[in-house]
Parts: sequence; C-alpha cells; structure tokens
Amino acid sequence: MLMIDALSKSFDKGKNYALRDVTFNLKAGHVCAIVGESGSGKTTLVRLIAGLERPDHGSVAINGKVIASLNKFVKPEKRKIGLVFQEYALFPHLTVMENVLYGISRIKHKKNRAQEMLDLVGLTDLGERYPHQLSGGQQQRVALARALAPEPSLLILDEPFSNLDAMLRTQLRNEVFDIIRKTEVTVLFVTHDTQDALSVADEILILQNGKVVQKDAAANLYVKPSTLYVASLFGSTVHINKNLQNAFRCPLKETCCHAIRNEKIKVNPESGDYECEYITSAEVVKKIPLGDSIQLLLKLESGEQLSVMTRDKNIADTISIGFNSRDILEFDHEH
Amino acid sequence: MKQDGNKNEAFSLKTRFKRFKRDSNRWSVFTLAIVLFLAFPILFIGIELFAGPGDTWGHIAKFLLPEYIFNSLYLIVFCSILVLILGVSSAWLVSRFDFLFRKQIEWLLILPLAIPSYIVGYAYAGIFDYGGSLELLLRSLQLDFVRIDIMNRAGLACVLSISLFPYVYVSARAFFLNQANNLLEASKMLGVSEVKTFFKLMLPIARPAIVAGLVLVLMEVLNDYGAASYYGVNTFTTGIFRSWFSLEEPETAVYLSALLILIIFVLILFEKWQVRKLKFTTAKTNSTQMQRKQPNTAIKWLILAVVLVPVLLGFILPVAQLLYWAVLTASSVFDFQFLMISLQSFAIAMISAVITVFFALLLIYFAKWSSLSSIRSVARIGILGYAIPGAVIAIGIMIPTLALDKWLIKMLGNFGVEAGLIINGTMLALFYAYAVRFLAVAYNPIDSTALKVDNSIPDSSKVLGVGNLKTFFKIEFPLIKTGVFSAVILVFIDVMKELPLTLILKPYHIDTLAVKAFEYASDEMVMEASIPSLFIIFTAMIPVIFLNKLLIKR
Repeated sequence: MLMIDALSKSFDKGKNYALRDVTFNLKAGHVCAIVGESGSGKTTLVRLIAGLERPDHGSVAINGKVIASLNKFVKPEKRKIGLVFQEYALFPHLTVMENVLYGISRIKHKKNRAQEMLDLVGLTDLGERYPHQLSGGQQQRVALARALAPEPSLLILDEPFSNLDAMLRTQLRNEVFDIIRKTEVTVLFVTHDTQDALSVADEILILQNGKVVQKDAAANLYVKPSTLYVASLFGSTVHINKNLQNAFRCPLKETCCHAIRNEKIKVNPESGDYECEYITSAEVVKKIPLGDSIQLLLKLESGEQLSVMTRDKNIADTISIGFNSRDILEFDHEH
Repeated sequence: MKQDGNKNEAFSLKTRFKRFKRDSNRWSVFTLAIVLFLAFPILFIGIELFAGPGDTWGHIAKFLLPEYIFNSLYLIVFCSILVLILGVSSAWLVSRFDFLFRKQIEWLLILPLAIPSYIVGYAYAGIFDYGGSLELLLRSLQLDFVRIDIMNRAGLACVLSISLFPYVYVSARAFFLNQANNLLEASKMLGVSEVKTFFKLMLPIARPAIVAGLVLVLMEVLNDYGAASYYGVNTFTTGIFRSWFSLEEPETAVYLSALLILIIFVLILFEKWQVRKLKFTTAKTNSTQMQRKQPNTAIKWLILAVVLVPVLLGFILPVAQLLYWAVLTASSVFDFQFLMISLQSFAIAMISAVITVFFALLLIYFAKWSSLSSIRSVARIGILGYAIPGAVIAIGIMIPTLALDKWLIKMLGNFGVEAGLIINGTMLALFYAYAVRFLAVAYNPIDSTALKVDNSIPDSSKVLGVGNLKTFFKIEFPLIKTGVFSAVILVFIDVMKELPLTLILKPYHIDTLAVKAFEYASDEMVMEASIPSLFIIFTAMIPVIFLNKLLIKR
C-alpha cells in the first residue's frame, strides 16, 4: 500500500542526513510502528510521507501512485493522509465540532459524519467546546477524530503519547488503538517507546541515525534482532566480547558479533534446576534493591564488569553465573 | 564509498536542478516579483550611478560635499554619545530600581517617539528664540537672560538626541528586563558592587541590544530633513533636496543618495558585526524577570529626578511650548481647509498602512509557501527600505516613474489618447514609496506573531486537504490578527509623521499635517505650525502607549 524507496533528506545540503536511503513497504490494514531515539529521523520520515517536507532523493508511493520523487511532488492537501501531531495541533479558535468538520467540508452529510467521529472517540457531547477547555487526553481524541473524518487511506500518528504521563499513556494507547482497529485504516505509528510499539504494532521499523536497521514482525524483533542496537532497544543486553568469551570459556565465531540478554544470564545456576553450558564465578561489587528483584554489579576474575538481575535475596559475596548457547544472539556486524 | 556515491547523487548539479524544478512554484515567482518591486527604488539608485554625475557635481564635490560629510559625521558621533547616555541610563534605572511613579515613567520615556524630530526642533527654536519662552520666563522672574543660540550643528544634535533616545531606551530595557537577571544574581553572589556590575557586566552583555537601538537612531538622524533644514545645517538629506529642487539636477541627487546609502550600509555592517560578536551572551528567554532593588527614600527621589530629565526634555517641554503656541494661533489656523488637510492626512496614512501591511503579508506568506528554502532569505531584502532615508527612496521613485510616465503618455498619444502623469506626482507613487519605506515596520510585528503559531497548525490544515490560501484565511489569519492590527497602527503613525519623502512625492493639491507644519515653519510662521504638530503628536501617542503595553506583556 505504502512504498518507500531510497528516501533521503538532508537539512544542510548533504553534510548530514536526517534520513538516508530508507526503503520499506507497508501492507494495507497493517499497523506499523516506527521506533527510534530522538534524532533518528522518525519525524522527518513521516513528514516526507505526509508531504510536509520534500525529499532530496528517492520516492514515496501510495497504492502504486508516486506522490513524491525528484520529478514529482503531490501537495499534502492532495494526499489523503491523516496525521495526528505530537502536540495535537488543534485549531484553537474553532470548536471541537468545527475542528472535525474542517477536513470534510466538501462531503455530503458532513455534520453526521463529524458526529459519528465524535461518537467513535467517545466525545459525543463535547462538540461545542473549544480545545483549551479539554484535557490532554480529550484533545488527543479530537485530533484523532479530525484525522479520521476524511477517511484517509493512511493514518500517521507522530509520537501521540509522548506528552502524557505513564499511567494515562497505557490507558489512552489502548483506547486509541481500539478506535483505530474499528476503522481498519493502515497506520504508521511513530514512537520512541518500544513498549508502545510492541503492544499495538503488527510490524516494527527501527531507525538509527536516519537509516533503517531492521523491519520485522513485532514478535521477531525480540528473538531475532539484526543488530546489537536493536537487541538493546528491546531489553538490556550484554555484548559478549573477547574477554567475556575467555571468562566463560565459550569460543565464538570471530566474524560475528554476539550478545546475551541480561535476563538469560542465570545466577548460581547449580543451586536451581538450570543447566548452563558456560559458567564462571564472579565477585559481587554492589547490590541494588529494586523491589521484587535485586540488581547485582559483578566483577569477573578477568576484571570485566557485568550486571545481572536476580530474585534470590540470599546472595553471597562470590557467586557463579552462566548461560546457554541457545540464548546467544548472533549479528553480522558490530554496530 | 557508498555514502559518498549517494551524496554526490543526491546533491549533484543534475539532481539539484531537478529538485529546483520540482520545488519552484508560483509562490517563489511571486515572492521574487514583490521583492524586486519593493527594492526597485534602491536598485535604481545603484544602476543610475553608472550614468555619471550632473554638471554641478564638480562644484558640489569641491565645496559642499566636505561640509555634508563633516556635518553628517558630527551628528552621528554627537547623537550617539547623547542617546547612549540618555537611553541606557534611563533603561537601567527603571529596570533595576523601584521608585515613585516608576510605572508611569516607564512609558513616559517612550513618548518622545510620538513627536517627529522636526517638531521637537521647532519647539526648542521657540524656547530659545529672542522673545522666546525661556526669555519670558526669566524676565518674569527678574533674571538676566543670556541667549543661547541653538540654531546650529550642536543644537540640532541635541534636539535629534532628545527626540530619538527612546529607541535605545526601549531595546536596552527589553534586554535588561528579560535577559539579564540570572547574570545579575550571579554577580551579586560573587560580591561585586552595583556600579561595577553595571559597567563590567551589564553594559558589555547588553551591547548588541543597545547597538541595535542606536543604529535605528542613526538611521533616523540621516533620514531627517525637517529639523536640519530649519536649523540651517547642511547634511546629505538637505543636499539631496537642494540638488533636486533648487539645482534641478537629478543626477546629483542620485550621487548624494548613493553616498548616503553607503554610510548606512557601513552602519548596518557595524550592527551585524556587533550582534554576531556578542551572540553568545543572549541567554535563554525563559530566565526569570529582573528583580528590582528598593533603594532608600533619598536615592529614590534622586533616581526620579534623573529619569525625569529625558521625559521633560523629550516630551513635556516641547509639548508645553506647542500648546502655548496653539492657544495663540488657534483662531487663525483652525478653518475648513485645516480640517480637510487633517482628513486627507488620516486617509493617506490609513490607506498606506493597509497597503503596506498587505505587502508584508504577501511577502511573509508567499515566502512560506514557496518550497525553495533560499527564497526566505531573499524575501528579507524586501524590507531593506527601513534603512534608506525617505529622500533617497523618493528620488529612486521620482526619476524612473517620470520616465515611465513620459513613455506611457507617448504610447497613449499614439492611440490618440491625451493623458497627464499617471504615476509620478500622483497618490500611486506616494503609496508605493510609503510601502517601500515602512515595509519593515509592518513586517516585523506580523512575522513575530506568525512565528508564535506552531507550524503543525497550518500543516495539519494542509494534511486535511485544505490549500494554502484557504488555510491562511481560515486558520492563520485569525491567529495572527493582533500582529496585523498592531502593524497597521505602527505604519499609520509613521506615515503621519513622515516628511521628506512626502515633500518630494506628494501631488500638488494634496497636503498632510506634517507637510503643513513644515510649510508654516519654513514660512517664518513656526507658531502656526504648532496645531498640525499637536495633531500628529496626539494621534501618534495613543499607539505609543499601546505599543508599550505590548512590550510590557512580552
């Protein structure tokens, strides 16, 4: 449905790239999350897709039609893309109803359609209010209703929950995506929060320094991250470097880069029912209580430092730790 | 290697050209057209330089030019010193200390801006004249009167300074109030004295703001015609007038204009250099506002006395003198003709304000809608007119429109139509000139309000399928209304006060209050000039107070 090909954008005439050679496709009806740290190019990517920026190279196509390339540029108002901004961008001088009506002034029964949208987002009776009279969550839903009203072929949500605190965030995220699923629209969802992405997306695109590092089904990203960076985005990860390989006496392929998730490193495996292929002993430098678990800062005989989590409250000064080869993550390049 | 390959591809000449073709739209063309239209008078002066000077240029260069240069430099130096003393000291006192009537004094210090310099000049001439107000006052107190002759260079410099210092006051005060507090607190914590803090810390870091105000003052000084001609001081501007009206030599006027532009260009470079040099000092605007000190009572009175001096000199004394004259001349000046002139003046100012604001809006939004990023810097060339003296702009419009009109008359003549001058000597030329001269006055308040509207607002309108123009009328205009409104008012006052440009370009049968005041004064009827002057002052006062409110809010 959405096809992005070799898309590049630089804001300083090619010295640095906000986005570089980004290529991916998105199937109709799918929810795709774009995940990356701030400055990774997420917002630039969606602005290029929406037509608010112009690409320096590459192309964007929707349903087989090119809407942006070196030779062609379809204006944002002709693209039929819905966009919910991070700061909602409601028109402050228009009522909620007028905001929702704004994008559908040319259709028949526009009032009914707008009311339908307000019903959908659960703001049936608030049509006469002004944006500043609403709570953050309500404003968010107005922005969603406004974006959905013209029945866009693609809906983009640009960090829609980043202004909200953690509790409200989870609740609102579930609400918003319940609404979106009812409409069966294709969604691009920008976030820096992997939890957000994992909980709602069919597939996830990871951006790092303006480049796509991985695009995969949500479930695969955790199990088969393509780089150490991706692995560490979805949970704390230890890079198994040469020293660690020596300490655990586990020789690994030199052409690859390896890592293990912290949670897969077992503390005192022999005391439980675990069997670990690679074991070494470590000195406990510090214990940091975190409520139901304890974080241990360890020093290996080789001098390497390491941190692991345990639920065991009785930890001696020297412990053994270990892991299994099936849990080792293997990457092509060191990133 | 691949990276370099891609870089070359994305920014090769060929792809750049493709993008240029893709991104240049009609808005880019419109923006360029407007910039050219507004910059034309100044460009014309530049081009005309190559046509060579007039017959009297040799004479002027030998006998008058040294005097023009000396007088203009004298005014620049003298006025700089005076406005810095008056402007910076009053700005510091009102932002650092709390004293009786401080709030009232704060906006009274801006009021001298409501009086055009030439009117301040007339008032002071009256105060110090034979049989003037000062002499009458001293005689009534049975004191000896020693006449001070102020109708000279030094007198002119004083008059210009006391009428223009608020430019420095306003920009210095804004800086002290909004930017300086955390540095001041740091200095206090380090145990540095008040006086040392001012000279070693505040003055250096406020320099860019002060210089910005000072450059505005100097542009006004070089723009002045009314006061200089009344005081008999030959400057570039009076020289331009003389070569235009007395010598009837446009080429010479063009040469003088070009030299004047050169001086102003140096001033602007100086300002840019200062601002860039000290850019690092501008702290974030979210720092706390200045906390005022509470000095003891004696010092409070002393401060009040000090800050009252510029208010007295720049506003109260001249207005009192004018009011006195107004009472004496009211019966002879107030008549039907005067009423008509007032109405004409208001109408001209209003229409030009609307036209100028219209151009400013076009320039701001067309540049925004153009997708070429380079267009935005080009658009700013259009506002350069604020730096160029009115007389220069007038010459830059007068000569080419005269040529255009001659051509038009000839063309129409070919079709058997007899026509008079179409642009030159008509209101069209005058409105055009005001737009060129005052575009920046409209551009800046609108641009700064427009910047406050987050880009995502118009962006979301566009994503919802609404085009640029409709987005402007439905979304952006309602949100920038206050900026547009203050722009209209600001241009309105500036046109009301404007003299040199109006004198050169106005149609014969049209008069403005400023021109009327000037004519009375030049005809040895300076007392009669008071009523049109007071009219200008009172119309200009209301918005000056309004402007100050905006300033305080910010």
